[in-house]
Amino acid sequence: MAAIRRSGGVVAFFWAGKVPDPGSESFCQALANRRFRTIENAASEEVSIGWVTPVDPTGDSFAAEDLDGGAGTWLRFRIDKKTLPKKWLQIHRDSAEKAKGKKLSARERRELKDDLMEKLLPRVLPTIQLVDALLFAERRTVLLFAGSKAAREAFGKLFFESFSLPLERGNPLQCGLRADIGDSARTLLERLEPVRWPRVGGNERASGPRAPRAMQAAAEEGDA
Amino acid sequence: MIPETKNADTHGFLGEEFLTWLWFRWESDGGEFTLSGGRVVGVALDDFLAFAAPDEDSTEQTLRRGLPTRTAEARIALRQGSRLKKARLLVAEGSRQWSATLDAPTLALSGVKLPEDAEECESDVDRTADRAANWLALHEIVQALYTQFLQQRLRPDYMKTAGEEQARWMAS
Repeated sequence: MAAIRRSGGVVAFFWAGKVPDPGSESFCQALANRRFRTIENAASEEVSIGWVTPVDPTGDSFAAEDLDGGAGTWLRFRIDKKTLPKKWLQIHRDSAEKAKGKKLSARERRELKDDLMEKLLPRVLPTIQLVDALLFAERRTVLLFAGSKAAREAFGKLFFESFSLPLERGNPLQCGLRADIGDSARTLLERLEPVRWPRVGGNERASGPRAPRAMQAAAEEGDA
Repeated sequence: MIPETKNADTHGFLGEEFLTWLWFRWESDGGEFTLSGGRVVGVALDDFLAFAAPDEDSTEQTLRRGLPTRTAEARIALRQGSRLKKARLLVAEGSRQWSATLDAPTLALSGVKLPEDAEECESDVDRTADRAANWLALHEIVQALYTQFLQQRLRPDYMKTAGEEQARWMAS
């Protein structure tokens, strides 16, 4: 097993609730229940997403020691995609149209595609993507090492299916709501509006930021 | 399953204000922050800045390489009241140093480089433990800095105190 990455992108997610102790049998079982299943021999275009471990990329085994990430728990999931290469389809279509002497109808194109998928897909190898995450159970935080929307969504779905807990992405609002700022500040945070900084050289004066429009309007109403 | 857009669009500005505040604090106080437990971290802006477009029709401005914070373009953007949307940061605590690009509207980090592995790491298991601790430390430092920013930003007198100071810095 190689060490976890030392560089790259990371997105934080939070959850409310409790996941099983990552060192426990029930945690490993939750992963095993949504283990990766191969589509190597599938004869249709499909995607398979499921948990594996950093030690075993097949999804066949889930030992607690294989998830050891020091202060965290090292999760890994695998996304396999099997698609018919478009170039193959185009080549066969061009060939069929040449033999026929005119363009194929929509129905003929569909039949050609179905026929090719049946013949070629069992021979096509899926693309493989392995995505890592570090889970810190006590902090109810997981750091996902993937920036793509597809990977983030796949991870959220897999996590929910495994632990019945929805993940919240750590955006400025969620991070603020989790921060130690007090209840009244938390309420204010949800209604906060941007500061309009002065534009020097424009029409606005050079000193002092301006309160958001809503705050100004409220103050003016109060004055009236 | 993950409500990607829930309030992220509406509060993206707050991440931009946070990143601009880090720049302000770096230039005005040297970028040294004392976190809870007495931990002291240093933050500096590095060689990449991107300013948020003031509105949908405006152009985003990106400055790369060298010292973009010292350029006339950066000063003009600040004087026009622009917020930072993205920046490359250097974060240091003790002998450890991280570099990362912070995407302010989402608070996601990209292009992160962790500190060198500790000398005592002899195996991949050791290296994983060391790196996991460094990933967590970076996440917690950013969260702690963001909390400090919010504690100022959410004060009722913010516009007349820290906000006023920042406005003077931006206009300078």
